[in-house]
Order: sequence, then C-alpha cells, then structure tokens
Amino acid sequence: MSALFPRFVEGYMPMQMLGEVGLQIVLFIYLFYLLDKKMGIKVNKLAQATSLFIYSFLYFRYRIYPPLPFSVIAIYETNVLIGIFMWVSSTETSWQDFRRPLIAVADGLTPTTRITRAVSVVLLPFLVGFLGWNNMKPSIDEPIELRTVHPAPPASTKVHGKTFVLQTARNPYRVDDQGNYSEGSSPIMKTYLDGNPWDEKAPPYLQYVREGGQIFFQNCHFCHGDNLNGRGMFAFAFNPIPANFTDAGTIAQLQETFVFWRVSKGGIGLPREGFPWASVMPPWEQHLTIDEIWKVILFEYWHTGYYPRTWD
Amino acid sequence: MNCYLFKGTRKGLMIAIAAVAVGLGAGVAVLWATGEVKADSGLSPGFIKGTNPAKPDPKMIEEGKKIYFRKCVWCHGVDGGGDGPGADRLWPRPRNFNQGTFKIRHTASGELPLFDPTKPIPGQNDLFDTVTHGLPGSAMPPWDGILTEQQRLQVLSFVTTQLVKDRKFDDKTETFTILDINNKDAMKKIPYSKESIAKGAQLIVDKKCVECHGNEGRGDGNPFNLKDDWGFPIQPADWHKCWNFRGSREDPYRVETIFRTFSTGVNGTPMPSFADNTTVEERWHIANFVNSVCEREKEGDPFSPLLQMDPQTAKPKTNFVVPSAPIEGEIPADPNDKKWQDRPRRIIGMGGQITHKPRNFVNRIDDLWIQSMYNKNEIAFLFRWDDRTKSQVEPGVTVVPIEEAPPVAGEANSIAAKQNTYTVYNDAVAIQFPAKWQEYAPPEKPRYLHGEEKRHVDLWKWEADGTLKAYTGSGWDKPLEERPGATEKLKLVKGEFNEGRWTILMTRPLHTDDKDADVQFETGKYIPTVFFAWDGHNGDAGLKMAVSAFYYTILEPPVPIEAKVYPILMAVGMIIAEGWILRRRATKREMMMKK
Repeated sequence: MSALFPRFVEGYMPMQMLGEVGLQIVLFIYLFYLLDKKMGIKVNKLAQATSLFIYSFLYFRYRIYPPLPFSVIAIYETNVLIGIFMWVSSTETSWQDFRRPLIAVADGLTPTTRITRAVSVVLLPFLVGFLGWNNMKPSIDEPIELRTVHPAPPASTKVHGKTFVLQTARNPYRVDDQGNYSEGSSPIMKTYLDGNPWDEKAPPYLQYVREGGQIFFQNCHFCHGDNLNGRGMFAFAFNPIPANFTDAGTIAQLQETFVFWRVSKGGIGLPREGFPWASVMPPWEQHLTIDEIWKVILFEYWHTGYYPRTWD
Repeated sequence: MNCYLFKGTRKGLMIAIAAVAVGLGAGVAVLWATGEVKADSGLSPGFIKGTNPAKPDPKMIEEGKKIYFRKCVWCHGVDGGGDGPGADRLWPRPRNFNQGTFKIRHTASGELPLFDPTKPIPGQNDLFDTVTHGLPGSAMPPWDGILTEQQRLQVLSFVTTQLVKDRKFDDKTETFTILDINNKDAMKKIPYSKESIAKGAQLIVDKKCVECHGNEGRGDGNPFNLKDDWGFPIQPADWHKCWNFRGSREDPYRVETIFRTFSTGVNGTPMPSFADNTTVEERWHIANFVNSVCEREKEGDPFSPLLQMDPQTAKPKTNFVVPSAPIEGEIPADPNDKKWQDRPRRIIGMGGQITHKPRNFVNRIDDLWIQSMYNKNEIAFLFRWDDRTKSQVEPGVTVVPIEEAPPVAGEANSIAAKQNTYTVYNDAVAIQFPAKWQEYAPPEKPRYLHGEEKRHVDLWKWEADGTLKAYTGSGWDKPLEERPGATEKLKLVKGEFNEGRWTILMTRPLHTDDKDADVQFETGKYIPTVFFAWDGHNGDAGLKMAVSAFYYTILEPPVPIEAKVYPILMAVGMIIAEGWILRRRATKREMMMKK
C-alpha cells in the first residue's frame, strides 16, 4: 500500500493535500472520459462512483501521515459521498445510468443479477449489524487534541532581568560587515547563505552563525535533529513532536523576536492553548545566556536558508 | 576478554578455517558461483574479491567540502576527528574518520568500507548507505531527502580523501573482500523457521555470542568492561531492539542486516567478524535467531506480527492509550500468567529529561513495556524494560544527582569517557497521574514533570531497593513529598531482575479515601499518565532520568447491553427494509408489464 501511496512525511500540509485531491478528481473524470470517448469502454456511473469513493478512502487512510483518526476520515468520506451524489444526480441521464444496475439487481431478471441479489440480501443485514456494533462498542481510540502551534505572543518578555519588546527588539548578531543591523532577507544575508562559517576569515555574521551552531549541537539537536527537521534522537519519545525548522510553517513565518520569546520561555512559558503541560521544550533562559539564544536563532535561519519574517 | 579472543588469533584462525572450508568444498562452491575459482584464495566462505574504488573527481571533493562544513562539521569536527562542538555530550561519540575505521560494511573485518563516488547503488556502497539511512541508536540521522544523491557522494568524496588520513581508498595494498550478499546461489539463504531459530539458539552459545550479548540477548553479558578502538566504553547490542541496530533503518527485521554485521564484524569495536569460524549456513541460523528475539507484538513469540515502525523516527509506533481490562477474580501475581500474556502490551517511548538541570543527554532506557488490568477492587500495572545491569545503591552512599555534563569537556572528560564510572544508584521506575484529573477539562492537565504548584500529581515510584512509595508532586523545582498513607495502599506484587530485564508488578485499590491527593480510577475515562525511569549505573537520580510523553490510562468499561442488542435490531430492520424495497419494485414492475 505504501508503494502505491507514498506518504507525506513532514506532517499535515493542507494546501498540498487540497491540490492533490483536486488534481485527482480531474484525473478521474478525464480517465472515464478517455475510456468512454476514445476507447469505447463505457463505465457505468455506479462503478465510477464506487471506485472514486474507495480511492478517496485509500487516499485519506494511507497517503497522509501522521495517520488521520478514523472519525476524521469518516467526516471526509461523508463529504466525498455528498459530492459524489451531487455529481451522479447532476443530469437525468447520469442519474438513470447510476440507478440502472441497482434496479437490474432488484429485478433479478438474469442469473447474474439474481445471484447478486441473493448475496446482497443476505450480506447487507450483517454489514449493518457489524457497523452498528463497531460504532457502539466501547472505544479506546486516542483522544484528538488540537494544539495551537504558534500562539499569540506577549507584547514583551523578560529574560535574565532584561525586558524585550517583541515589536522593536533586534537580533544583535544579525549584522553586516560594518556591524550594522541588517534586516531579514537583506543582500548580505543572501551572500553568506552558502558561506563557510568555519573559515578563519569568515565575516562577523558567519562567525556568529558558527557560535550559534556550536550551541545548537550541544543543546538542541537531541530533539530538533542534526538536520533541524525535528527528528532528533529523543524526538520519538515526545508528543508534541519537536518543531521542524525546515518546514515552511515554523521559523520561516515567524518574526525573530517571536522565536526569541519561544526559545527563552520554552514549553512551560506557553499560553494554555499551546499545551504548556505537554511540551518538553526547555525554558532556555535556564541554560543559555541572552547572547547565546540570539546566536542559536541566527544559526537556525542560516542553516535552513529561511529569513525571519519582518514586522509589516 | 572472551570477546577479544577471536580478534587476537584472527590470522591463525582464518588460515586454519579457510583450509578446512576449502577442504569441505564450501569455499570451492562459493568461488565457482562467482566465477573466480582460486583454490588458494584464502577467502572466507561467502566472500569474493573486490577492487579499489574509482578515485573521486577533484570537483566532487571541492563541492563535498562545502557540504561537510555546513552539515557534518558540528559533530565530526573540522579535521574529521569526531570532535565537533556536539561530540562531548554524545555517546556513542561521532565517528572519528582519521583512522578509516568504519563500522557498517560489506567488506571483511579490518578492511575499508565500500565506497565508490560513481555508484550510488544500495547494498554496494557502504558509506553511501550509512549517510543515506543514518545509524539508528546513535545521533547520526538519515540524510536521504536532505542531501541529494550527488551531494551525498560529494561529501563522502571529501571525507574519504581528506579526512581519512591513515589509510587511502586507492592504496593498492588495501584489500576489498566483499560479502557477496546479493548472490543468491552463493548465499543459499535459510528461511526463517522454527528449525533454523532452534539451531541458531544453540550456535549463539557455541560461538560464545552470549558472553557479551547475554543469555537472552539483552546486551547484558559484559556491559562494563568493553572499549572501542578509541578507548571509549561500548556496550553490546540489545537484540530485543533491532530498530537500534546500526544500519537497520530501512527494515529492522531484515535478516540480511544481521547476517551482514555478523559476517563482517564491526570495525573498531569488540564485535569480531565470524566469517572465519562459521559456515554461511550457520550464519543464517544465527541471524534468524537474533531476528527472532527482536520484540514483536506478542511477548516472546517470534511468529507474532512485527511491530510497526514509525517512518519518521524509525522506532516502534506508539499508541498513547494504555488500556486496562476488567477481569474477574484476583489479579494474577505471576507476570507469565496467561491472563497477562493475553493482554495487549504498549511500548512507551522514553527520552532523556533535557528540560531542566541536570539534563540527561545520554539516556539508557529508551522504552518500557506496559500492561494493565483491573478487578472490582484494584488496578494493576506490569512494567517490563531492558536494563543491562541491576543497580542498587550501596548502604551508606548518599544519592547526589550527578552534575550536568559541560558542553565542551574534551574527549577525556566527555560523557562517553565517563560511562561506567558513576556512583551506582537505584534503578527505578515511576508512573504519574494528576491527583484530581476529573477537574480538568481535556486536554488540560498538570505539567508532565511532577505537576505544578496548585495542580498536584500523584506519583508512584518503585526503586531497586524494593521500595514502592506514593509521592505528591507540585512542580519540577519542588521536591517530591511522600504520603505514607498512600504508600501503604500500594502493593509491590513482583520486583524481579532477570537476564537484563526488570519486571515490576504493582497494584493499588481503585478508590481511596484521600480524594484530594490520591488518583481515583473510573472506568471509561482517559486518565493522563506519564512514565519516568532511572538507570542506576548511568548516575540517574532525581531529575536526571528518562521521561515519556503523556499517555492515557483507560479502564475499559464492560460492554454495555445496548451495544449488543442494537446492532441486532438494526440488522433485523435492514431485513425488513430489504423485503419492502424488493416487494415495491416487484409491484411496480408488474404494473409496468400490465401497461
């Protein structure tokens, strides 16, 4: 199954999923159009609808990772079912085409339809009974808990006795060769994106990147991983899983000061909607100095190739 | 050291055994199959001769250097000495490339690994495979999807030519003797079967595998005296966790991986190559046996379904619900009782506590197995976990949690060097519930690390000195407070260490009088649960420990009568509906016919 549906591996990506689903529907319609008009194989509407329904189930069940809970798949499939009914009943011919095999089975005029009728008459009550049981038996599924990944930040945060206003604070190490603060995607940052921070003649910016990297690999990689993709050695044990900085949905869409606040205060500093009770993210002010925190953030952006979002 | 035995006399053994093997015709058969008949080749059974790899293009080395200083230098160091800024807090330490000693290979013991900068072919390019899939059980991640194939070849071109200093891949005196694992005729793989496993079980005793890996293969045979070639302590592999085998990431249950490691040995470690004193057939039996002891769904059943791996972490998938089943009568005191065996078990992933000081960077307990059941009076939890030694604090020793390892300590003072030198404390395990979980609207709960000041937790901790106590936790920075009244209600039914594994069975009444401090168990409710574990030989005490994520204990409610009756009613309703539809259709058709 996994060969047929290679999984998404980097968490949910709603836009990608939406795009894929749309593309597949178009492909399906085109496939039946081809079969019908070009090859002369007429596929009955009922068969089309059933195959589409089964395909969509397989898609939700096997393509998406982490796996969707059954209840969520059920909601998606209900929507798919409604969509399919709207589609098959859109014209009178289509609706008749959809009904024809069902009526043929009910009438049982040929041996095949008679056998199908007998089998379905016997099987359907069992199926209904089983679904009922499945629905009513005591369930011990994992509870679904939706967590706000990037909760609203405070206006300011106090670290090591110093107050940082998130709107105005700046990373003191994000500087050009002259030592001037250089915003997010400024040319200088682009120039050094492929630079070697270990070069002895590295400019100040890259030297700070190196120092940040040292701190990262002494403290952070255990969870966030050597690739900064949230797959460190201990990641398997924790839930929520550590943030993946290479994903466009984390540091790439956050202001640098937001990251500073999250790093300094850690999981325990989250507001309630961020599930502070479950996060093992350390409040890094307990382990690192202010300078070290800024440097490690500088490194994370450099390594992933992202730029911090600016206040706009 | 018995494990060193084979190493010291390798040459002599090799010659002797090669001669015997050739005499028996096994060697001849292998060589025939590969088309290289050399009666005096001296190759071990299953091996063929290879050649020096192609030399990397200077451009590839140049490109590889850039990648190295972006991705690899942080652990492996500027000079490839395995001494990057991250190295001192890791055990095993990052590989020191300078000597050209690589663990995971298809080449004979002591030889360089396979690496060809022009051939990214899986199974024929050891270093490429290692970089692609990473090394499970260490900090080395898989680079597949991060670096392109070409980039991986480039960085390896740089490492093999510039950072491997003592040996050269293109040196004509270097031999490449390759385990011919893809040759089906020569390998004659023995299928996984009861017979083969039984033969393997005998062979691991005959070949002295058990001396290091332990009688049940939990890596507990000789865990404290082994060192690698760089002088750092090293522990034998725990066969029950095949997902931690280096080089096993694609499929931990693949027998070929074990066969490969066993045939070629692990360079730089006490694990020798058994190529010279086992036949190919014997190696398959051993590989099948080692594979059979890796944990599966049912405890101790080598033919039960394999554990599913989480593709993101390459560790067994976790289910965050720990079900507790209702039973009639007494809770069985024997963990091997059928009632316990029939209960599903859950694996609890454990990570080092690295949130607060002292952080536990090298965590030795990476999972626990949990089972639970309850009767009308009490609930029972059965814990099992692998630990290479029974650790108990000596009388008179004060337990002081060891200080956190400094970020840069130098090789001699690194965590890896300090292994096995800690004062021994008690092994321990604990389970924690919110004291009044009923009062929090899900998903809200007291913090995982011993709760909060006004949101207490009830924590039961067992220690290797045989104590089982109940504590109140009021936050990570406050000491746990024992509640003697609650301790009395806890019962330690079993606390046993056997062949590298702890088995702890504890019970407590479902309900107690102290509803403020003691957790109360109700059926059908999700009760947040956190697990903690300590390895006394790792200097674990206090907050230096292993922690789990939040799990949920749920006491499975007995099946209600409605759940049995309604489905039957629904089925009957369906039959009636069918009759009605078919009748209606028949009448309609009749009417149409009449017209």
